[in-house]
Amino acid sequence: MILDQLVWPLTWVLAALVLGPYLLAVLDGLVARSLGPTRGPGIWLAPLSRGAWWLIQHTNVTEAPDGRAWRLAPALYLALAAGGLALVPWSRTWVATDIATSLVLWGSIEALATVVIFLQGWSANTHLTLVGAYRYVALGLSYILISMFVLIGVALPAESLALTQVITSQQELWNVLRQPLGLPLFLIVGLAITFRGPFNLADSTDLAGGTSADVSGAQRLVWEFARSAMLVAFSGIATTAFLGGWLGPWLPGPLWVAFKMLAVLALLAWLGPAFARITPERCVSLMWVVLLPLAFVDLIWAGVEALL
Amino acid sequence: MAVSWLARLAARAPVPVFPALGMRGEEALYRLALSPDIKRVDSPRHASLLLVAGGVPPSMQQALRRVHDQLPAPFTTLWYRSAPLVELPQAAVTTVDSLDALPGALVESHGRLLRNTVGRSPRLLPDAPPHPWQGLGDDGHGGEGMMGGVPYGRPMAMPPTADLRDGLALDILTFRLGPFFPLWPPGFEAEVTLQGDIIQQFSVRSSPFPRALAPVFHEARERPVAIAVLERARARHHLQALFHALHLAGLEDLARHALRLADTCPSGDIVLLAKWFTAFERRLRRRGFFVLHLPKCGALRKKQAESQGGFAARAAGIERDVRAEDDGYRRLAFSMMTQQAGDTRARWRQRLAEIAQSFDLAARAQRDDMHTAQTDAVETPRGAWHDTRPKDTSHLLEDLLPGLEWGEALATLASLELAALSPWPREEPAETPEEGAA
Repeated sequence: MILDQLVWPLTWVLAALVLGPYLLAVLDGLVARSLGPTRGPGIWLAPLSRGAWWLIQHTNVTEAPDGRAWRLAPALYLALAAGGLALVPWSRTWVATDIATSLVLWGSIEALATVVIFLQGWSANTHLTLVGAYRYVALGLSYILISMFVLIGVALPAESLALTQVITSQQELWNVLRQPLGLPLFLIVGLAITFRGPFNLADSTDLAGGTSADVSGAQRLVWEFARSAMLVAFSGIATTAFLGGWLGPWLPGPLWVAFKMLAVLALLAWLGPAFARITPERCVSLMWVVLLPLAFVDLIWAGVEALL
Repeated sequence: MAVSWLARLAARAPVPVFPALGMRGEEALYRLALSPDIKRVDSPRHASLLLVAGGVPPSMQQALRRVHDQLPAPFTTLWYRSAPLVELPQAAVTTVDSLDALPGALVESHGRLLRNTVGRSPRLLPDAPPHPWQGLGDDGHGGEGMMGGVPYGRPMAMPPTADLRDGLALDILTFRLGPFFPLWPPGFEAEVTLQGDIIQQFSVRSSPFPRALAPVFHEARERPVAIAVLERARARHHLQALFHALHLAGLEDLARHALRLADTCPSGDIVLLAKWFTAFERRLRRRGFFVLHLPKCGALRKKQAESQGGFAARAAGIERDVRAEDDGYRRLAFSMMTQQAGDTRARWRQRLAEIAQSFDLAARAQRDDMHTAQTDAVETPRGAWHDTRPKDTSHLLEDLLPGLEWGEALATLASLELAALSPWPREEPAETPEEGAA
């Protein structure tokens, strides 16, 4: 009982939490190598040597920060990512947190991420980190809305808010084909919530690192790790909601989930540095004027398809 | 044992360096950016090494001490053609005068720092707020009444003016940034008042250091020079400026590519260079540099554009270019190009078009060995140099930036050249770096 409901689920989640961000760092290294010469200890060792440097570097303090909130924010973001990973079903029975409302729980994780990211930027009590926090809060709501609409779209054919039911409903046709707008919209939200590439507005170069501009040492390691872990959780939910989760021929279900997650991560790692950072003004317009209406279209599409 | 194992692993990562640029320190920055062993960072909190490149005037040494103290321990310092702060212990100081030796010296210093504890830089300033907490008033906020105080010497966060954008009155935030903020021109310091991420007020506290140009622009004021050499130097200057804009846009690989092209400019095959640049420009467009990143704001008014001169004036539709009056350029059928909008995007369109034009002019001038005809004026990348050199115009920002979002303001700043022209030419590197532009 304890083994099945506590030890094993916790082990899977921790394994995904450690391996996922590491593999994402390796993929990032591969993408960087394809874009220009890099030197260092090689693709596999580079993330570890970077992590080792962060561990050696001291954690600094700023002038009169909200100390507890500042130290807690990266850990909270990591906890949210772990919560997301716990929802990913690896097979019909192999789910760390199999609840009837797992889609709603994922929605709350996205919403709480806004609070945590603001906390990280605000509690340092420095100017550039605060601007990064403001930026995220200004945009966070639009990200969450788009994500929720496309996820309601996948809940309709499943007639359930449980992610395992969402996968079962894709036996005949995966949602990526049934609702073609859903996955691209969801992946854009993934890049935005983890502020990577063109949507890196909170931790951007123009703010010298934004919410983490004044963070160093182990605290920075946890923050960067949490950002990566959140993207891994996103790829897990994307795999579940749109790519049929464990469904696939020949191989065991968990392997299919791992392959699909890696494919989504590779796509996101490639998309990151491929485009210039969008201006916040244009990002607001893109989210509210283009992507949110597209999310409505996706939902109507899913509704009509469910009725037929 | 465990620590040494961790340190050995950490020493294999690229060296995180925060460059604090003094006078004539830019060449060091460009060399770092092209070295795969170095990771240039924009915040001192993210670095293990403080590189001070170029001379730092005495008035800025206190600011340098503040930057120095922001680096998290353990860290050390390296001084490129700069006099180290006197209070630093000898062990924490490495001085380098050769550009070629710089990346190696940084890697060596970092390795030494991680291997043993000697050479670690100490704190220079007391770990106390610059303005002590006054502890007065009902809420210990430093003054009388609810919001009357100035805790830590700074005004309380209250919106004194109407919001410039959407009426959402967020707290105002006033701070000084510079003179070593890496996303601004070296030496530039300003006091900024933000409301949310919108600039409400911008006042210049210290002008950027004068910018040194390639020697050929100075020679052109004394005697006729080869147009090919002059145009190659012009293209190089603009490509180096493009590096900053692309770094700001998050396009790191293209930023490095621009620098590699810039380094190939003085001696590379001009036809190949032109071809590479055309392909590079296509990549800039495909990857959203214009559509996603560059704002259509920061437009100069006619009078401002006239006072700014150079490409910024031509981007605002003012047809003014000394080259059009030079017989040497006339024989090459030089035609002036202009844009109309005069904003940030138009300035980069203008600069990219002028780079392509420079390559074209250089190719034709090289073939026919053409020289400039006049010496009383020269068109520098910064603007026309007649009797006086182009002057500092950073005060334009006080009018240009309020109302812009922070990122738009930085993109606008990166699209302009505001520093005065230095009376001395810059030293040309003797060789090109190891990587080609291809």
